[in-house]
Amino acid sequence: MSGSGQRLNVVPTITTMGVVKARLVGATKGHQLLKKKSDALTMQFRQILKKIVQAKEEMGEIMKASAFALTEAKYTAGDNIKYIVFENVDTAIIKVRARQENVAGVKLPKFEHFSEAGETKNDLTGLARGGQQIQLCKSAFVKAVEILVELASLQTSFLTLDEAIKTTNRRVNALENVVKPRLENTIQYIKGELDELEREEFFRLKKVQAYKKKEVEKQIAKNKLLLEEESRKDAGHKVDRDGIIGEQEDEDILF
Amino acid sequence: MYGFEALYFNVDGGYLEAIVRGYRAGLLTAADYNNLCQCESLDDVKMHLAATDYGPYLANEPSPLHTTTIVEKCTQKLVDDYNHMLTQATEPLSTFLEYISYGHMIDNVVLIVTGTLHERDVHELLEKCHPLGMFDSIATLAVAQNLRELYRLVLVDTPLAPYFSECISSEDLDDMNIEIMRNTLYKAYLEDFYRFCQKLGGATATIMCDLLAFEADRRAVDITINSIGTELTRDDRRKLYSNFGLLYPYGHEELAVCDDFDQVRGTMDKYPPYQSIFAKLSFGESQMLDKAFYEEEVKRLCQAFEQQFHYAVFFAYIRLREQETRNLMWISECVAQNQKSRIHDGIVLIF
Repeated sequence: MSGSGQRLNVVPTITTMGVVKARLVGATKGHQLLKKKSDALTMQFRQILKKIVQAKEEMGEIMKASAFALTEAKYTAGDNIKYIVFENVDTAIIKVRARQENVAGVKLPKFEHFSEAGETKNDLTGLARGGQQIQLCKSAFVKAVEILVELASLQTSFLTLDEAIKTTNRRVNALENVVKPRLENTIQYIKGELDELEREEFFRLKKVQAYKKKEVEKQIAKNKLLLEEESRKDAGHKVDRDGIIGEQEDEDILF
Repeated sequence: MYGFEALYFNVDGGYLEAIVRGYRAGLLTAADYNNLCQCESLDDVKMHLAATDYGPYLANEPSPLHTTTIVEKCTQKLVDDYNHMLTQATEPLSTFLEYISYGHMIDNVVLIVTGTLHERDVHELLEKCHPLGMFDSIATLAVAQNLRELYRLVLVDTPLAPYFSECISSEDLDDMNIEIMRNTLYKAYLEDFYRFCQKLGGATATIMCDLLAFEADRRAVDITINSIGTELTRDDRRKLYSNFGLLYPYGHEELAVCDDFDQVRGTMDKYPPYQSIFAKLSFGESQMLDKAFYEEEVKRLCQAFEQQFHYAVFFAYIRLREQETRNLMWISECVAQNQKSRIHDGIVLIF
C-alpha cells in the first residue's frame, strides 16, 4: 500500500495525538460520505448512459426519417426549395436554454429547447407544389432538433459526471489509501514514541533509584565502617581514649 | 387535325423538331430505371448513367459522388440542350422556347428579392439560381430597395415586366408575402403563355393549351390543399388561380371554399380527368397526390410527341427532362440514404 510507513512530521506528544486522532475520525467520516457520493454519482451515470444509448438509437431513426422527408420535399417542390426556405428565415424559432441540475453536489448542465413564438414566413412555401411535404419535412426536422438537444444535454451531463466521478473516486482513494494510513501511522508512531518515553522515564527512575540506593548503601557502609572503626578503636584503644582525654587534659596542661 | 402550318413547318422548325425528337430518344427508359434501382452505391448509379446521354457530363466527376452533383449535371445537360435549341430557333419558336424558361426566371427573381430583403450576398444568391432562368441583368436585382425601384431599374428590361406591372401594385416589398407574389407572377405567366399559344394556332395551340390548362388546374388544386390551415384567406386563394383550364371558373369557386382534403376530392370528382387521379388515392391521404399529378403530367407530355409539326414537343421535352432529373434525384437519394424500399415511390416512368 502506498503511504504505508509514512507519517506526519509531528512532535510526539499527547496533545498532538489527540489532534491526529480527531483528524483520523474526520477522515473516516469524509471517506464514508465521499464513498456514498461516488455511489450516487455512479448510479446517475449509469442512468444517463442508458438514456444516451436510447437517445442515440432514436436519433438514428429520426435523422434517417428527416433526411428522407427532405428528399421528398425536394422531389415534389424542386431542388431549389431549400434556398427558398433559407431566405424566408429571420430568427431561430427553436432555441436552447441551459440550466443546472444538482446531483449529489455536482452541477450538471441541462439543455432544454423551447420554441419562440415567432412568425414563420415558411407557411406558404411551396404553395403551388410540395407545400405539404415541406411542412412534413419541417416537423421531421423539429423532432430531430429536439432529440439532438436532448442528446447534447445527456452527453454534457455524461462528461461532467464522468469528471466528477473521477475526482470523487480519487478523493475516496486518497483518503482510504494515503490520508488514513498516514494518520494511523502517525498515531502508531506517537504511541510508540510515548511508550518509549515512558520506558525511558521508568528506566531513568530505576536508575536514579538504584543510584540512590547505592548511595544510601554506600553511606550505610561508610557509616558502618566508621562505626566499626570506632568500635574497634573503642575496643582496642580504650586507653587511647583515656590518653586522648588525658592529652586533652595535657593540652590544658600545656596552655 | 393539322392546319396548313404543316405545309411550311419544316422550313423553320423541321431541323429543331428533329433535334428534339432525337433528344427525346435519349431519355431514360423503364429498363434504365430498373437497372438504376438495383444500384448499391452512387458510383453504380454513375456507371449506369455513363451509357446514357448523361455519360459525358458525369465522366469527369471524382469518385465520392454526391446526389447534388448528379442533379447538377442533369440540369446542366438540360440547360445545354435548351441553349442549343434556343440559338438555332427562329421566330416564333425562339419566343416559345423563351416562354418555357420564364417559370424558372420568376423563381430566380423571387429568390434574389427575398435574399436581398435579408441582406444576403448577391453572388451567393446567384449560385443558387436555376440556370434555366438566368438573364443578363439578374445580378442587378439586388440594388432595388422597393418594388417600384425593382421594376423601374431591372425588371422593365426583362420579359417579366408585364407580369409585375399587371399583378403587383406599388406596395413595398415587405408588405407582401413573397410566396403570394411568386404565385401571382406565375399565374400571370401561365395566362400569358396560354394567350401566346392560342395566338400561334394550329396543333401547337391545341396541345399546349391542354398542357397549360392541366398545369393551371394542378396549381389550383395544390394551392388549395397547401393553403388549408394557413392564414391565406379564401379571396386571396381565389386570386391565385389562373383564369383558364378545366376548372375555370366553377371549379375555382368550389376550390376556394374548401377546408379539407376530402372537400377538394369532392370537387375534383366532378371532373373526369382528375377524378381518375384522385381515385388512386385513399381517403384522407394527400401525400401521394404530387406523384399522381406528376404521372398524369408525364402521360400528357408523352402524348405531345404523338403529333408532328407543332411546338409543344419542346415544352414536353423540357418538362420530361425535369421529371427525369427528379427521378434521378430520388433514386440517388434513396441509394445514398439506404432507403431502397421507397425507391419505387418516387419514380415516374416516362416511357
